[in-house]
Amino acid sequence: MPALVDIARAFTPRFEQVPPHDAKSASWGPRVGSVVLLDAGGLSRLFGTAQELGEHLRDAISKQSPGDTNPRIAMASTQTAAALLALGSPGLTVVMPGKEAIALAPLSIHVLDQFENLSNPHEARGTRHEAPSSAPGTRHEAPSTSGWHHPRSTHQASRRPKRALENRLLEIFTKWGVKTLGALQALSGSEIHERLGERGAYWQSLARGVDARPMVPWVDDIPFEAALELEWPIEGLEPLSFVLARLLEPLAERLERADRGAATIYTSLRLTSRRVFTRTLPLPAPMRDPKTLRTLILLDLESHPPDAPVDTVRVFIEPTPAKVLQWTLLERAQPAVEQVSTLTARLTALMGAGHVGAPALVDTWRPGAFTMADFRSQIADQLPKVDRSIENQSLNLQPAVDQQSAICNLKSALRRFRFPIPARVVVNEGAPVRVQVDRQGFSSGAVAQAAGPWRTSGDWWNTPGPRSNASAPSAALGGSAAWDRDEWDVAMTDGTVYRLVVERGVGQWFLEGVID
Amino acid sequence: MAARAAVEALLRERKLDRTLTTNLPERLQDEAVAPVGTDALDHALSGGVPRGHVSEVVGPSSSGRTSVAWAALAAATLRGESVALIDTFDRFDPPTAHACGMVLSKLLWVRGQAISKTTGAIDPAWLPGVRAVNGPGTFMERVIDRAIKALNLVVQSGVCTMVVIDLIDVPANALRRLPASTWFRIERAIEGSDTAVLILSAIPVARSAGGRSIQLGGDRPHVIWKGHHDRTRRVAGVRGRASIGAARWSDAPSVAIATSIVNVV
Repeated sequence: MPALVDIARAFTPRFEQVPPHDAKSASWGPRVGSVVLLDAGGLSRLFGTAQELGEHLRDAISKQSPGDTNPRIAMASTQTAAALLALGSPGLTVVMPGKEAIALAPLSIHVLDQFENLSNPHEARGTRHEAPSSAPGTRHEAPSTSGWHHPRSTHQASRRPKRALENRLLEIFTKWGVKTLGALQALSGSEIHERLGERGAYWQSLARGVDARPMVPWVDDIPFEAALELEWPIEGLEPLSFVLARLLEPLAERLERADRGAATIYTSLRLTSRRVFTRTLPLPAPMRDPKTLRTLILLDLESHPPDAPVDTVRVFIEPTPAKVLQWTLLERAQPAVEQVSTLTARLTALMGAGHVGAPALVDTWRPGAFTMADFRSQIADQLPKVDRSIENQSLNLQPAVDQQSAICNLKSALRRFRFPIPARVVVNEGAPVRVQVDRQGFSSGAVAQAAGPWRTSGDWWNTPGPRSNASAPSAALGGSAAWDRDEWDVAMTDGTVYRLVVERGVGQWFLEGVID
Repeated sequence: MAARAAVEALLRERKLDRTLTTNLPERLQDEAVAPVGTDALDHALSGGVPRGHVSEVVGPSSSGRTSVAWAALAAATLRGESVALIDTFDRFDPPTAHACGMVLSKLLWVRGQAISKTTGAIDPAWLPGVRAVNGPGTFMERVIDRAIKALNLVVQSGVCTMVVIDLIDVPANALRRLPASTWFRIERAIEGSDTAVLILSAIPVARSAGGRSIQLGGDRPHVIWKGHHDRTRRVAGVRGRASIGAARWSDAPSVAIATSIVNVV
């Protein structure tokens, strides 16, 4: 059968194997043959008339398998008619459009049973008792050919299943004296339906050559991979972008045909130094726009360039089912995933890794701790309810102020200096009274009023060494360095409010931030 | 009066009637503004920060300028919008922002480089020899240049509906050296879109024709203390005033601003 599929592929990309190849290999076995249906639409310019196309097919089959001198080929305007004719009459049969019923009339009614078995191999096995099958003689043969019995099916097979009416159609028609498809065609449709139900009417429509379902073309199970060996090694990303475009466009087309999106892109570059440089790019959501994919690969390579000219470019895409999103009319439209991914990739290339994303809180008491997460636009984001407790905390200023409706109440922002700014602080009776900062743009001088200290410490149980600076970036990002410090809020005479910290281990003062 | 009518008719004929003050709406449409989330400020802003325009928040230290910008971001995230913060010198504090009501997952935080005296503290990606650091100018200029480039990328992508660029710690002379075309380009990029750009700085930088200027700290900010004893006293908040300016506004409305410290622990 693979040979037949190869022949079909040589003629047209639209063909179907009946039964499907997976069903056949799993349950049907080699004993019962199968039919390959070709969509001959649009082939006349290549192969001529239907008769000529049929002859081409016959020659190709004869060439492929010299022993088979008389292959069964049928050309008809419906797939059902073509399949029945191929099953029922040897050699090449060509039927003019509209003459299907006449051509099918002399065929034995047993052809319908064969066709039914091909179309529904699982049902024909008899494992599903409710499934229709009209061939009592063949229904239980298939499992025995596979050589393996599921314990449950063996148990079921030991009991003869009770056959439904529709499973005995062939028997009934034979008893009625209906031996050919022509005789079945001649019966009254309404009376068949009255006596045999939907199944009987379905058989009659098959006998007339009417299609019961559309054609399902074969999909090749080949990996989403493309490679290009270059005549001359290329350096730089600009020429590489053209190569990637050439590779990604057909891949994206295939992804679209298969209704798949790229989950991960693997880019392998064989360098002139005989080294293979590989980059793996996981994508936040399935996407298949070739321009977006190319941009993402290029931006990734821009941040991590290969160290030698490129000889061969290979792209492998790990496919995943395409994402189906139901947008809502009640919320603001969210930007496309492709847009967000491209933007974050561009920004990452510009600002560096770890400098772009959505901040996320860390479960720690460390002041200013956070971590960076991927920024993704999600319509299903559950917006947290506003914390009313915080809102209620806000500003217990003078009651007279709250009563004024013209007041704009806000929560204070803290501008945190990610790297602590060293300060010289004069302390009187344990409280800072003067702050001196060498850096330009910061207030220095007498402290108008100070509040504190608030002492915090933590992670000392994890770090046996000397306690380090809690304000260092690694610590802010949720590192494990211990901290032990006192915090002060100080108002300078010019109205600026700083948050000062003193590292207790070393006694050094720092500006941690400004309340703004 | 007749002369005025004649001039107006002439302007309309030449499709220049947008310049007429009589055509200015009392209050912008709801879709055309991004409310800040507080009634008093929204009222003074005629509904909020105009979309499709560049606005600015200006003021000295501790005047509440950053609080206003964060409030605008928080209100947008609570409406389900995606927002961006171009943080030139990496001053953003996520725990405090969360306590201020910001939905952090909706925030695209573009972190610039915190300036430090020690090169060891600088991210290696920003050191000479690494991509995009090889431009001309001092380290400070390169940091600002990157922030502006990041702003351009964000506004051109159209992903975020509110974009704040924090230029507060940029020295005034460095801000003045930025070419005027920088801001024209931003204005053109967001014109007609639903993106509002907010420039946060110590001195006025730029504002598009339809944008607003929120000028804080006309008077010296007044720090509010709670508690009378040295050991129990704490900063409760800061009070000040903001004046709102816009093109063709004869008088700048003023609004009292009161910020309150939130405990993030």
